[in-house]
Amino acid sequence: MNRTSILVRRVTVWTVLKWTVALIVAAIAIFPIWWMINVVFALPGEPVSLNPRLWPSSLSAGIDKIHMILTETEYLRAYGISVAYALLTIAGVLLIGSLAAFEFSLFDFPGRRLLFGVVMLSLMVPTAVTIIPTYLLTSRLGWLNTMQGLVVPGLASAFGLFMLVQFMRAIPKDMIEAARLDGANHLQIYWHVALPLCRNALVTLAILTFMQTWGNYMWPLVISTRPEMYTVGQVVGLFNSPLSHHTVDTVMAANLLAAVPPLLFFLIFQRKIVEGIAMSGTKG
Amino acid sequence: MAFLEISSLSKFFGTLPILNDVDLSIERGEFVVFVGPSGCGKSTLLRIISGLEDTTSGTITIDGEMMNNVEPAKRGTAMVFQSYALYPHMTTFQNVSFGLRMAHSPKEFITERVRQVSSILQLDKLLDRRPAQLSGGQKQRVAIGRAIVREPRVFLFDEPLSNLDAELRVQMRAELMDLHRRLGTTMIYVTHDQVEAMTLADKMVVMNGGRIQQTGAPLALYDDPDNRFVAGFVGSPKMNFLPARLAAVEPDAVKLEAIGGSGTASLPAPGLTAAPGPVEIGVRPEHLHLLPDGLEATGLVLNGEVTLVEELGAESFVHMDLADGTHITIRAGRGAARPAGQIRVRPDLERALLFGPDGQRLRGGDGRKG
Repeated sequence: MNRTSILVRRVTVWTVLKWTVALIVAAIAIFPIWWMINVVFALPGEPVSLNPRLWPSSLSAGIDKIHMILTETEYLRAYGISVAYALLTIAGVLLIGSLAAFEFSLFDFPGRRLLFGVVMLSLMVPTAVTIIPTYLLTSRLGWLNTMQGLVVPGLASAFGLFMLVQFMRAIPKDMIEAARLDGANHLQIYWHVALPLCRNALVTLAILTFMQTWGNYMWPLVISTRPEMYTVGQVVGLFNSPLSHHTVDTVMAANLLAAVPPLLFFLIFQRKIVEGIAMSGTKG
Repeated sequence: MAFLEISSLSKFFGTLPILNDVDLSIERGEFVVFVGPSGCGKSTLLRIISGLEDTTSGTITIDGEMMNNVEPAKRGTAMVFQSYALYPHMTTFQNVSFGLRMAHSPKEFITERVRQVSSILQLDKLLDRRPAQLSGGQKQRVAIGRAIVREPRVFLFDEPLSNLDAELRVQMRAELMDLHRRLGTTMIYVTHDQVEAMTLADKMVVMNGGRIQQTGAPLALYDDPDNRFVAGFVGSPKMNFLPARLAAVEPDAVKLEAIGGSGTASLPAPGLTAAPGPVEIGVRPEHLHLLPDGLEATGLVLNGEVTLVEELGAESFVHMDLADGTHITIRAGRGAARPAGQIRVRPDLERALLFGPDGQRLRGGDGRKG
């Protein structure tokens, strides 16, 4: 049997159907992004004309728009705020989540089950219910329009704790005891043994936290009322607002700039995200 | 006072007793093996010595120092776990040096110590590998290396060979004996495998139900067990127990009847004092002799049906059922028995042991016979 006949045999109706569905789904997912790029990198009005084009026609026009947004608006500062908000949240969620998961999964203490149950219960409560009390608390702390006001309320992530607990439970008790016998103290065991062993989970949680924080519109909108504390989401919102004088292509350029970091993040860590989510599923 | 002394030690998990009034003395440099069935408390005792588990009552001293409230890492013990418990994200070098790094030892000292240990255990070429790239035997050696590098006063081994295949287990056993000879450090080893215990131990501690049943040299326990449990646990195949009735006690012997159903015999037991009643005669498989067909025999002869013959090459184990249903095993030569049918067996009563209804050994005045 030669190679060609093997290939012919493998191509069945089912395979063709699968590929067709996959391509349609991919096209639906990719088209908006492609359209965004198309609109940005074209002369004004061209893509939305009666005879639209599906491919970029002017690189320089796109660059001009991006340059204009970055220099003539507060976009760059918002970018900085968003990056700081995302990175600080990631660091905090990882630190607090992993420390809590370390205790919950590897040690026994009075009230452990109850406490964990309460934390897990908070997963069931929708954000809409907690946003007003959280706002009031943050406001009383005097944290409106501050970085800590943006970051701190999001640090205690029940989802992150749940995910890390699942991973840390899989660490053999022997290993923790071996470290104790080797003279490692509690924090050294956490740092040298537990943390490296759930690196995949930490990376996944970091990525998910980034996606969530970067795309978070509601909380910054509530907490940052002064323009100098606006995040990218808020600034893009301004571009889109009904009273905005920006044209569609400028709005699209702002959207594209906002979409680049999560897109890059996803493309770089795509494999890790899938692995991490798959693992947290099987270990539960 | 012995090097390691355990006095009146008890351990309860909630209300469940795990260890009951354990007393044990271990001398410096001894190779002691805790052996017993699953759940007998041997691993718990080892963990208590290491400090990973607290005691409910009782004391432990090492080299005269009370250890009850001393942190595990400060007891001068090092443990090798059944699962090896190697850190999968670290190389062999990092695994072995972990304890020294945690103690903030100088870098040159760490490198030198790891070099010494890796040459003792032939780990030199494996120092850059992670546990996933090592075979079972190599992982075991790394785990031992991690223990050695800290120069402990006592090595603790918790069933370290049970994850290895039979061939490797024999090889590692020899390596452990060699290591003990070279280092001369006190070693405490837990196993449920009595063959491992017999071959490794200077002193064997047989445990059951949270109590120490007997302590002594392996052959002393084999020849002179204190009770039915030790007699049955030490030795493979197990000792045979023949139900009998103690009919009369005479100054030099005891009269036994209803042995294996109907047999009678006189067992030499000078000075034995016991009330007539049910007893058990313990006979090792090698002290039962097959009688060839047609040979007239005097004394006690047991008749029974062969149920199975296990041919092992140099020897064979013949399993048979006596008339009263008692199952016994005979260690015989190669091809010594037919695979089925009736056979006759003569026990060597000079080597037989006697156990009372409470499972305790009935001893004669000389402390051995009976």
